[in-house]
Amino acid sequence: MKERARVVKEITPMILARPLKLCNFLDWKNIKLIYKRYASLYFVCGVDVADNELITLEIIHEFVEVLDRYFQNVCELDLIFNFHKAYYILDELLVAGELQEPSKKAIHKHIHDQDQLVENAKNGTGEEGRSQ
Amino acid sequence: MASLREKIAQGLKTGPKFLKEFREFDNLVKAIGECKSKAEEDRIITQELELLKQRLSDPKLDRSRGKEYMIRLIYCEMLGHDASFSYVKALQFASDPNIHTKKAAYLALTQFLDCNNQLVLLLVNTLLSDMKSDNYLIVCTALVATTKLIGADLVNAVYPVVVERLRHPKEHVRKKAVLALHWFASLDPRRDGPLAGVELDKHFRTMLCDKDPSVMSAALCALHDCIKADPRPYKNLIPSFTSILKQVSEHRLPKSYDYHRFPAPFIQIKLLKILAALGAGDRASSENMAAVLHQALRRANTSHTIGSAIIYECVRTITTIYPNPALLAAAAESISAFLRSPSHNLRYVGIDALAGITALNPAAAAEHQVAVLDCLEDPDDTLKLKTLELLYKMTKANNIQVIVDKMMGYLATCPDEHIRRDIVRKVSDLAERYAPSPSWFVSTISEVFRLGGEHVDDGAAHRLTALIAEQDAELHGSAVEAYLALLDGEGGAGAGGQQAGGPRKKLPETILLVICWVLGEYGHLARRPPAAVLSRLLGVLTAHKSATDRVRATLLSALTKLAAHTGGAAGPVGTALLQPHSSGGSSPGSDAAAFVHACANSQNLDLQQRAHELQALLGCPPSLLAAALPADAARQSFSAAELAEVAALPFLDSMVERALAAGAAPYLTPEARGKATELQAKGLRFEAYEPAPFAVPLSGASTSYGTAAAADARSGPSSSGPSGSAASTYSSAAPAEPQLVLKGAGGRRSL
Repeated sequence: MKERARVVKEITPMILARPLKLCNFLDWKNIKLIYKRYASLYFVCGVDVADNELITLEIIHEFVEVLDRYFQNVCELDLIFNFHKAYYILDELLVAGELQEPSKKAIHKHIHDQDQLVENAKNGTGEEGRSQ
Repeated sequence: MASLREKIAQGLKTGPKFLKEFREFDNLVKAIGECKSKAEEDRIITQELELLKQRLSDPKLDRSRGKEYMIRLIYCEMLGHDASFSYVKALQFASDPNIHTKKAAYLALTQFLDCNNQLVLLLVNTLLSDMKSDNYLIVCTALVATTKLIGADLVNAVYPVVVERLRHPKEHVRKKAVLALHWFASLDPRRDGPLAGVELDKHFRTMLCDKDPSVMSAALCALHDCIKADPRPYKNLIPSFTSILKQVSEHRLPKSYDYHRFPAPFIQIKLLKILAALGAGDRASSENMAAVLHQALRRANTSHTIGSAIIYECVRTITTIYPNPALLAAAAESISAFLRSPSHNLRYVGIDALAGITALNPAAAAEHQVAVLDCLEDPDDTLKLKTLELLYKMTKANNIQVIVDKMMGYLATCPDEHIRRDIVRKVSDLAERYAPSPSWFVSTISEVFRLGGEHVDDGAAHRLTALIAEQDAELHGSAVEAYLALLDGEGGAGAGGQQAGGPRKKLPETILLVICWVLGEYGHLARRPPAAVLSRLLGVLTAHKSATDRVRATLLSALTKLAAHTGGAAGPVGTALLQPHSSGGSSPGSDAAAFVHACANSQNLDLQQRAHELQALLGCPPSLLAAALPADAARQSFSAAELAEVAALPFLDSMVERALAAGAAPYLTPEARGKATELQAKGLRFEAYEPAPFAVPLSGASTSYGTAAAADARSGPSSSGPSGSAASTYSSAAPAEPQLVLKGAGGRRSL
């Protein structure tokens, strides 16, 4: 966890300092940082030196599109208060560093199934409680 | 800040999006959002952690609030605080039947732990039972957790269950199972650890033919890694890959895979990478792929970044596989389009692709010279670096000077260590391959040492000195002047010594060694008087207080040579060095003498030896000095046989025989000595040790004064240690006769 906090602290000023017109790619240590800015929010992704940078930009964009579809017009507050849901969605999109689900619809359906299951479970136990 | 507060207040009032049942969590977030300083934030979090600690250790814990607790704990850790007290609790929650709690607990565990953590062992059972669960969502969650938490040592525990899941009816589960296997494969790439003998790629091939496209694309990811490691077994899959790519680019996949009207671009790119790996260097395979590559290239266009991404990947594939002229022409066209675009990102990928194509077709780069030069002058660092890489690939003998200049300019200003190391390596490589003249090489490499010396290996310094040694006097003179100027610019305290790149930096060790050596060998060729050279050399010491012993040692030898070449003991350098050590007075002469005295008494044997050699040599008659240190001997080289002959020290034989006749003990090798002391040390010793012998004139049978333990194991005189290297601190009187042995070092002749 400490390592993670340190990395975040190091990268953040580097990314924030970049003016708008420059490339969205940055070399750092032995990885490449790809970042995309949406209003006041930055999404940063680290990839190998040999990977295709443009496709990473698109993966970031895909993630943002899925979030948008799920939260309906997503904004930062959604991410702050529901960061666990954002993590679940990320888990659907990227596993072991690879994009696993290119279809937004499938991700959406999956998460909804999850929520649905919880709803059913809650209602189910509610009914049980009542009948007893 | 005020607007954020308003937004939060509004949000809490309105949205069903905001979880009303997590009132405490909402309050926490609100408080963090409103606090004004880091200290306050820390205080709030510490309070929260205390509260959570209390609640969690309470036996009457309300399990239905498990999810909320997990989320709050993750939040605290995200802000940088430590919540390790809760890890075990999270493990317990992971086995909770409620899916929300379970998912939250798994999320917490993947955030808190990694695959090297011991606690994962406790999780394995839970993972296994979850993977066998009836509810496919739980299975999915467990599979995702395995990719994050299972390390090489636990792989075998979960592997069989994961393989079973490959046949699950739900495509989500199958897909995640494939990716979990991909992760396992990456834990043990050569299959010689826990997964030895397991046929993972058999599974991947089967899943490639799965009817659901998402499972197929997951199999592609896994196969890509296998193919990168070793392409040969997979060549028979080329037809399947090309047919998949063909179908995908013709929009045959379901509409949901479209991304901004491009058909399944991520799958296309994965396939392109695989084809690149399979086709490299293999003509037959490359021909099979040509048609489909053409098609993919044609159908993509640059209207959207994703189209450019596909084109970029196509171009990379084309440059990696066996060259095909038609494809290369098409690729060159696309590259021109990239380089002409106004977007920085596209120019970046254009330069990258150009670097790939230059190896095959140098003319292509020449066409775009203007664009490339523009990129070089761009304020964007990333673009500059990429262009430097391109130039590195394009360097030939006619443009090396310009390119190296640019690279050195960048090296002077760049702070990032990895990039510096890279540039140093590139420049040294280019200089060694294409240097137009030795003097250019010397000046460039010296510059490299000065700016980036900490990344250069020792061999480079030796190669440089060897090269200098082979040159003629003119080069020697100019090298000396250049290094003196370097020392001038750096050593003058506040005297306006300016270096490129801002504040004065210390010279790295490598360049100091080279400078000392060159000034020692050829300092007599300098245009300024020898005393000035001497003071410059000593200035090195004052400027670099932390100079290592290697530098001091080289400096001593340099001083010896300088003295020898400028008139011996009677010359200006010689007199300065031999001045008796007196306190007070800070003329360069007494500094030099003080330095030599300090080294003569130093703990480091190398320094002591050299200091004594210096003093002894300067005390010799001039003819001896000239014979020992001839003026331009560095270019001499000795064959191995000659060196071996000298190393046997035949000229000392007469001295050895005389000593043995006088009763000295013969030389014992360290192994023999060890045995001797072993025999003695068997029991406790009850007699007193013999008293230590005192200083004996060195010109006779010389004895070494070790510790008083084994008084009869004195090593004889035929070891090549000269008389000055005793471990004791007796200052040796100047020997009556010059019976000295010089260690053969490099090209120096010995007596």
